[in-house]
Amino acid sequence: MNQIVSTHNLSKRYGDTYRVKSVNLSVNEGEIYGFLGPNGAGKSTTLKMILGLTRPTYGKVTVFGKELDENRHFILSQTGSLIESPSYYGHLTGLENMRVVQRLRNVPDKNVEEALKIVRLEKHKDKKAGQYSLGMKQRLGIAMALLSFPKLLVLDEPTNGLDPAGIGEIRELIKSLPQRYEMTVLISSHLLSEIEQMATSVGIINDGTMVFQGSMEDLQSKNRPTILIKTQNNKLAQELLYRKHFYHTQHEDFLVFEGLTDEQVAQVNRILVSSDVDVLRIEEHRKNLESIFLDMTGKESSL
Amino acid sequence: MKAISLEMYKLRHKHLFLMVTLFLSVEIAWVFMAVSMSISRNPDNTGWEPLIAMLSSLNGLFLPVLTAICVSRVCDMEHKGNTWKLLLTVSVRRSTLYAAKYISASVIMLTACLLQMLAIIAFGAVNGFEQPVPLLLLLRFLIGTVLTNMIITALQQWVSMAVKNQAFALCLGMVGGFIGMAADLLPQGVRRILVWSYYTGLSPVTQSYINDKVQFFARDMSSMLPVMALLIAAGICIYLAGSIHVSRQEV
Repeated sequence: MNQIVSTHNLSKRYGDTYRVKSVNLSVNEGEIYGFLGPNGAGKSTTLKMILGLTRPTYGKVTVFGKELDENRHFILSQTGSLIESPSYYGHLTGLENMRVVQRLRNVPDKNVEEALKIVRLEKHKDKKAGQYSLGMKQRLGIAMALLSFPKLLVLDEPTNGLDPAGIGEIRELIKSLPQRYEMTVLISSHLLSEIEQMATSVGIINDGTMVFQGSMEDLQSKNRPTILIKTQNNKLAQELLYRKHFYHTQHEDFLVFEGLTDEQVAQVNRILVSSDVDVLRIEEHRKNLESIFLDMTGKESSL
Repeated sequence: MKAISLEMYKLRHKHLFLMVTLFLSVEIAWVFMAVSMSISRNPDNTGWEPLIAMLSSLNGLFLPVLTAICVSRVCDMEHKGNTWKLLLTVSVRRSTLYAAKYISASVIMLTACLLQMLAIIAFGAVNGFEQPVPLLLLLRFLIGTVLTNMIITALQQWVSMAVKNQAFALCLGMVGGFIGMAADLLPQGVRRILVWSYYTGLSPVTQSYINDKVQFFARDMSSMLPVMALLIAAGICIYLAGSIHVSRQEV
């Protein structure tokens, strides 16, 4: 599969602090790549460097197999983007805002109509953008990004300010883009639930460093269950199981086992019962993706 | 050309030309009233020279403020709508955008100067000036005003683009207006370095008091050429410094 975006040791330093440090991001063709991280983790800075808005302190950005520095014009002509808050001319109507981008992109009128239709702004196109609600401004921003129906779409927190129905609509729209228009989508968010529902690949960034990158399945495979067993005599149970090579940790009154199969759980139970150790409880705990994300980023409070 | 026409498109609904016309109307009305009073007191002193001299003098007060407002209106929309990112991600070069904005603002100010010229000619016709329309004098007046405008535009654009808060740019315009009005009272050494003083400094007509009477003289063109050349050089430096500085700013 073709790599659409790749970065090599991408770093950005402001003063003595690295906002982004040695990020190696890789987005393949036709993917919806969810770029996840808590607020201030370096998502927007990374995306800005990918679009050439910010110059990296060091590192390399390659888009469509070409280096950004030397092929900026070509790359940007094939890329649509919405970075941070939406950009618009408040004194112009929605349609006039689209016309500004249309002139810059050299695209036909039908693209303007279609993009407005996709984001459901066609009824409000003659209203001044300054009078739009935040959600409508966000939609206008997405319409501007979609205008040339680019090969790569970079969206930085596109559902900010949208109501639940709007979030659902935009999610469905983004999910349909790779098949409908053969687009590759790179989307950032601090909400795991949002990314979980649409991304095929995930990158997790924390404090400027990439802590995970892989497919959604890879991330979900980290979601292994833990077995907690409570007995009447935990000390004896520990000795017995240790001798049979069942290694565990202890959490309060429970012995905690990682990655046991159903057969192994039955075997553990048999060993204990046959040795007259009463088993009071066997519980299965499964970490959800949110917990995995929180473990990786260690930022429970910022979510 | 595409970038300039886009800038003009972006100025829709801003009513910039209407604002310029209204602003100029106030200035022109002021000049005409003053000159009419002077003619009624001194019927022998009618002519084009006092009109041009008076307009040059008031341009020093009005045009720096008008330029500041126009440039601010042209530049502010990029700050307000957070559109720098949008433009840069559709491959617009910052230097091209800077140039397009400069040319647009200069064209608006050129229109203002042409309106002034038409107003002068109309005033002369209405008041039945005996001398024919002094086209050369008016052309020199136009060149001097446009040149000074262009340098002030470069300065104002630098401030308007580099500093988001437009109060700074508008304050600079007002300070410029004060300097422009009071320029003739300043020593020549100081006047030379203040760009706002050139509305009167490059005026083709000058006035002086002889035997308690105001006399108007046409200036020698050749003596003004080196000053103009220096001004153009200064304008280019200000423009380039602004363009490079703004191009290097982080979005």
